Amino acid sequence: MTFKLFINQFIRSKEVKISLFLIMLLGLVSIFIGKKHIVKQNQAINEVTSYQKKHFDRYVAAHNEDLGLLLYYVKFSFIHQSNPLSGFSIGQSDINPSIKRITIKTFEAQKYDTDLTNPMNLQSGNLDLSFVLIYLIPLLIIVMVFNVLSEETESGTWHLVAVQTKSKLSFLCNKLLVRFLFVETLVVMLFLIGALLLSISFSAQLVTLFLLATLYVVFWFSLSFFIALFKKSSGFNVLILLTIWLVILILIPSGINTYVSSKYPIPEALNTAIAQRDGYHTKWDTEESPTIKKFYDHYPEFEKYGYPTGGFNWLWYYAMQQMGDDDSKEEQQNLKAKIKLRLEATNKLTSVIPNMYLQRTFNKIAGTSMEEHLTYLEATGDFHEKLRLYFYPRIFENVYADTIDWNQFKPEFYRASSDINPFKTVLPLILSTLFFILISIPKIRNL
Amino acid sequence: MKFANIVLFAKHFMQNTIKLKSFYGVGIIFLLLTAYAAVSGIKNYTTQNEIRQTYQSKARQSWEANPDKHPHRMAHFGTFAFRKGHPLSVFDYGLENYTGNAMFLEAHRQNSVNFSEASFSTGVLRFGQLSMATLVQLVLPLILIFIGFSSIASDRENGTLKIIVAQGARSLEIILGKSLGLFSVSLLFFVPMALVVLCSLLIYDNALNTNDIWFRYWVLLIFYLLFLGIVSITITVVSSVSRTAKNALLKLLGIWLVLFILIPRTAQSIGEYYYPTPTKLAFQNAIEKDVIKIGDSHNPDDPYYKKLKDSVLKANNVTKVTELPFNYGGLVMSKGEKISTILYRKHHKDLLKTYEKQNNISKLIAFINPYLALKQLSMTISGTDFSSYVSFQNQAEEYRYTLAQTMNELQINYISPTKVSGSEGKKHVVDDEHWEAFSDFNHEPISFKKSMTEALTPMLSLLLWSILMIVFVKITIKKMKIV
Repeated sequence: MTFKLFINQFIRSKEVKISLFLIMLLGLVSIFIGKKHIVKQNQAINEVTSYQKKHFDRYVAAHNEDLGLLLYYVKFSFIHQSNPLSGFSIGQSDINPSIKRITIKTFEAQKYDTDLTNPMNLQSGNLDLSFVLIYLIPLLIIVMVFNVLSEETESGTWHLVAVQTKSKLSFLCNKLLVRFLFVETLVVMLFLIGALLLSISFSAQLVTLFLLATLYVVFWFSLSFFIALFKKSSGFNVLILLTIWLVILILIPSGINTYVSSKYPIPEALNTAIAQRDGYHTKWDTEESPTIKKFYDHYPEFEKYGYPTGGFNWLWYYAMQQMGDDDSKEEQQNLKAKIKLRLEATNKLTSVIPNMYLQRTFNKIAGTSMEEHLTYLEATGDFHEKLRLYFYPRIFENVYADTIDWNQFKPEFYRASSDINPFKTVLPLILSTLFFILISIPKIRNL
Repeated sequence: MKFANIVLFAKHFMQNTIKLKSFYGVGIIFLLLTAYAAVSGIKNYTTQNEIRQTYQSKARQSWEANPDKHPHRMAHFGTFAFRKGHPLSVFDYGLENYTGNAMFLEAHRQNSVNFSEASFSTGVLRFGQLSMATLVQLVLPLILIFIGFSSIASDRENGTLKIIVAQGARSLEIILGKSLGLFSVSLLFFVPMALVVLCSLLIYDNALNTNDIWFRYWVLLIFYLLFLGIVSITITVVSSVSRTAKNALLKLLGIWLVLFILIPRTAQSIGEYYYPTPTKLAFQNAIEKDVIKIGDSHNPDDPYYKKLKDSVLKANNVTKVTELPFNYGGLVMSKGEKISTILYRKHHKDLLKTYEKQNNISKLIAFINPYLALKQLSMTISGTDFSSYVSFQNQAEEYRYTLAQTMNELQINYISPTKVSGSEGKKHVVDDEHWEAFSDFNHEPISFKKSMTEALTPMLSLLLWSILMIVFVKITIKKMKIV
């Protein structure tokens, strides 16, 4: 009965109605944007898949008798199959390409090629569901909670409450519970609609995302309530809460970003680019045999093809291309090490900031994180190696292209394997919520 | 309207603000943030440029270190173009971190610009960048809201407004006075930053020797001041028409959220929705198709090149290409390069047009959103916008083409006519002095004039908003309630 009263009292407020409506609307827009992102990716995948066969046919017809030349041109697709959850959290997946079309030549020269992107689109960022949850839901909570206590003191009803209820705390808790249920219903609805529209099946990942979102809501409730307990005026509460919002959602993250990128600049990337170029191209200036010797050191199984002489031959050519990768190994390692340093620093710094932690975990689960892209690149490297090992002997024996079954080279897919431990994943959020509940206790005693 | 009264209100507003303890808290935090943004901006600019210069010269060294070689080998050896940051990127990063930094330049192929900061970002870049520009554009208006939301509303709530008006002050004087006061407060935040930028330009660049940077600096200064003026007036106007201070605060925060966070995020999505970017495959295929339509220089049976051969043989009165007085392989390569480059540029121009159409949506929306207008103007004038990036791409592509064609020229003139195809070995080579003779790539920053043309729309938008403010104030004084 009293609960119904709380609900009625709560939804009377115009601000609450407007903000609930607005967030719902934006939530729907964000799901739509996520859907569009996935559709666009799938379109690109379909294009590549239907193109590949035509592409092979054309080159096989043109260079049937020269497999070495054919493989100079022919590209094989390796696709990062996106998880439907990436519609919830687009993350880095609009920056990093999800389709690689590679030749069997030097891999390092192709590894970092980018897609066609408008930098303005990248800079503005995506209004995806994770943005709505991380940035906008806290504002909704602030609007709901900032005067949960001060409206009573300012309208003079707090004394009445003090006299009429058994426990002032349970009175406030009921008020909070009503508000929490509204927000949580909104979150549930957005997840349901999103799952339906993006055809996301029920899985541990989805549940973990939902749990994280819920805990984040609880975190903001505990934080806002903590501020409300100071019994300051409504105006002051709004100011303080918005300042907190500004600091932890905009200033700290952008500060951390600036710190990480200026602490760990990546000249290694440029160094690797030059090293692989030189690794391959300078081999044109030396004798064939040392290069081929180095190639056999790497692949002793091909030593039987000997040391052909008398000008250009494909064995020498692909051995040179191989050296682009082999001779830049050290630079590649340095680049990898630097990126790892960046990741470690970011992980350390972001695990204590709930919103950053949430965004990164969302990306991780949705397969749109930096880590995910790096593993995809590694997998692309393995795919490249597999192609090389298949084609090298055939090139060296100069078999005719039409004796090869080209149908076996369908675009291959890389699927993210995210083994998420739900309990470990939600722990940081539980801890930060507990922190605010604990420091609220002394204030609650003085209600 | 008495000017003295306006000044009086402004002074009074400032004194009241400066008295607040919380003002010092906010002020100190903002100054610290400015210092942090300044230091990291300068550090980022200097280290990134140092890195890129180092590798530009490293790439150059290995280019020059090439021994005598067949020119076509050199055309594929190629070189790198590294994008230089603009001196004003210290202030506004703009697209700096989202655009690639390095492009490999070689014959026949237009490679992508790789290694953007964003591509190595651990995902935190998406939370935004803490540049000095962000602080003024995004954070300072919020601080001004906190300081100014109650300026007139609370005067009305506690009855002071009634007394002031009874004493003969007019509402226009009150609004202008309080706006001026708020604007002066904003200067306390903004001026230190303007000085920091000035110092960094003086210290880290002899950039101020050229008028270009000076002009840019002053344009930025003028429009940022205009923006802060618009913000100050808006806050005061909203405060004067709101029933209570709390009401004014909620309204202003709503406006901030919509104009500063939501619209900018959605504007680009709308653009991309209506003018979708083609996939890389579709883009490359379209070029390839066009090239094949004219003639494929890599295809030995191609009719276009067969015709070319016949006409060249006829003109020189010989029967075989090996009998020509020059290297025929070089000629074919040079023709092929020309055709593929013209076609690539045509398609690339179309692609850029698509991007521009996407961006135009934001530009249009900037007319109803002064924040977006300032953001675009600031990027453009700071040389970190889309047009500066395109200018780099074009310069790199131009250099690539010259490189490829210079090498083809060398092949035509210096390689024996008998060596029609193939480029390996030590026999058919050109002296290494030619490598050094071909000058290095140098990224020229976009000119002030070009940036100004690019920034015309946002400038117009901000000027219109300034005029609109006068209208706003005029309407408000009629509607403003004293009690």
